[in-house]
Amino acid sequence: MSPQSVKRPSLVSPKVEEKEKYFGCFSPGDAAGQKEWGIVELQGDLETRHPVPLSGKFIGDIHFTHKDAPVLIIGHHILQGKVITLEKPLAVLVKSSRPDSGASEMDTRSDDKLQPMTKPQSSTTYLVEAIITKKILFKTRPKPIIAHVPKKL
Amino acid sequence: MTSHVGMNEASCSRSISDINSILEFAKLDPADFRPQVQCLYFSEQLENDAVKLMELEAPLQEALQAGKRLEIRGDPGDGAVIVTENQTFEVKEAETSNSMLMIPSLVYGSNIPDEGEQNIANQQVSSIIHNYFELKRVKPRLSKLRALLSENPFRGTECEGDEQDTGKKYTFSELQHKVQASDAELKEGLIKMNACELKGFWRLLDFEYASTVLYHILQLCEERDWLHSGLSMVECLEVLEELFPGEVIKHLVRSHAKTDQDSMETDTEKDVYYFCEDKICKHFAELCLKNSGKFNLNDFLRVWQESVSDGMQTSLAQIEGMALIDSDARPPVIWYYNVDLLPEDVNERFEVLFEERKKWSLEDITPYIR
Repeated sequence: MSPQSVKRPSLVSPKVEEKEKYFGCFSPGDAAGQKEWGIVELQGDLETRHPVPLSGKFIGDIHFTHKDAPVLIIGHHILQGKVITLEKPLAVLVKSSRPDSGASEMDTRSDDKLQPMTKPQSSTTYLVEAIITKKILFKTRPKPIIAHVPKKL
Repeated sequence: MTSHVGMNEASCSRSISDINSILEFAKLDPADFRPQVQCLYFSEQLENDAVKLMELEAPLQEALQAGKRLEIRGDPGDGAVIVTENQTFEVKEAETSNSMLMIPSLVYGSNIPDEGEQNIANQQVSSIIHNYFELKRVKPRLSKLRALLSENPFRGTECEGDEQDTGKKYTFSELQHKVQASDAELKEGLIKMNACELKGFWRLLDFEYASTVLYHILQLCEERDWLHSGLSMVECLEVLEELFPGEVIKHLVRSHAKTDQDSMETDTEKDVYYFCEDKICKHFAELCLKNSGKFNLNDFLRVWQESVSDGMQTSLAQIEGMALIDSDARPPVIWYYNVDLLPEDVNERFEVLFEERKKWSLEDITPYIR
């Protein structure tokens, strides 16, 4: 790994999507506010030597010192990190689609046939899976582990 | 930059001795660490788009924790906003070059026992995230509300369904979806725009039509001396409901008058209303100026004073933000220039204002930039 200058985040405005037209909303999940996910933030990207899917692969070990300082060992690198309380908490949103509650409403017309008032609309809901208030940030240059120290100089 | 992930380990198969041997290579002493080691693995279902992160401003967090739902509002293609019950937030997506590994059950140091046998907790990284949403409190975007309601202003019961009645009408819930404002801001906007709920639809009253109804109300007031003793809503409706819908009458009385109790919201028709001089005068100024182009200032002041009910006093302060005066012209002139019709966006508004006039005095421009 090599240190990388931190870029200012670039900002774009996401647009409202067609399917979010009716009810794009956030509902608090069951455990929102209680459940806390962890984040480990690394500079740059994690890559494998060969372009294979990352699913299931081992990454590294996280140790905490008695003073709660995190140490991450990835391959032959040691990273010293810090637990940081986020200035603004992060909500973890999970997208889910479900039919609109209004779509099943029926309208009795004069001809006595039941007709749906509207075509079934699916709406997008984001569930707040967790609220994150802190993260582990590894921002220092990783130190290599020198496995085989030469016996003689 | 790249960190090479070990390729040979099979899933979740690390042993204490694997861990300790790498610590030894690293010249680290296991005794310096808390006994639980967390081994990170990518989840078998690693999916980077499965979750999104959003920075929460305090009001949003409070709303969520109180069990409220937040809504994304606007038509497709509008820049997304999220609303609470009473505030609007613009959504921006921020990208970072750092990788955020999401680990649902990661345990922080302070929650790990300080002593005990070394043990392993396998932790799954469910996604790697490089972007998150930032929120910024913004003013509600209400110019769209005016545009939507202007599609079909109410021109009287007899005009409903006529050849001009082609524009769409909107219910509150339709406006909620289209207008980028919280419910509270939307309601406030409707009141400020003087919109009126008729048969479930929110409508602007056509200005000519509203003027006619208001004229009849004021005529009745003069006949019965209500300008001094106060207007009785019940009696007013008794006389005028034959001519105009009750909702319109009530709306116009409420928007130009006050009750004793100051209870604009209540629907009690027993209330007695007192007209506000400023609001009535402003209405008549608008009636004089709206379609007149540039008006000789002195002629205007005379016609205006003559048009209002006896005992009411007009004054230019009543029409701040509605008309501009050129005192250097010979003769001085006044013309209609309504703040409500200017763009909401600050930069756009200044552009329009300085197209109208090259130079503004602070006093003149203030009503247009408040």
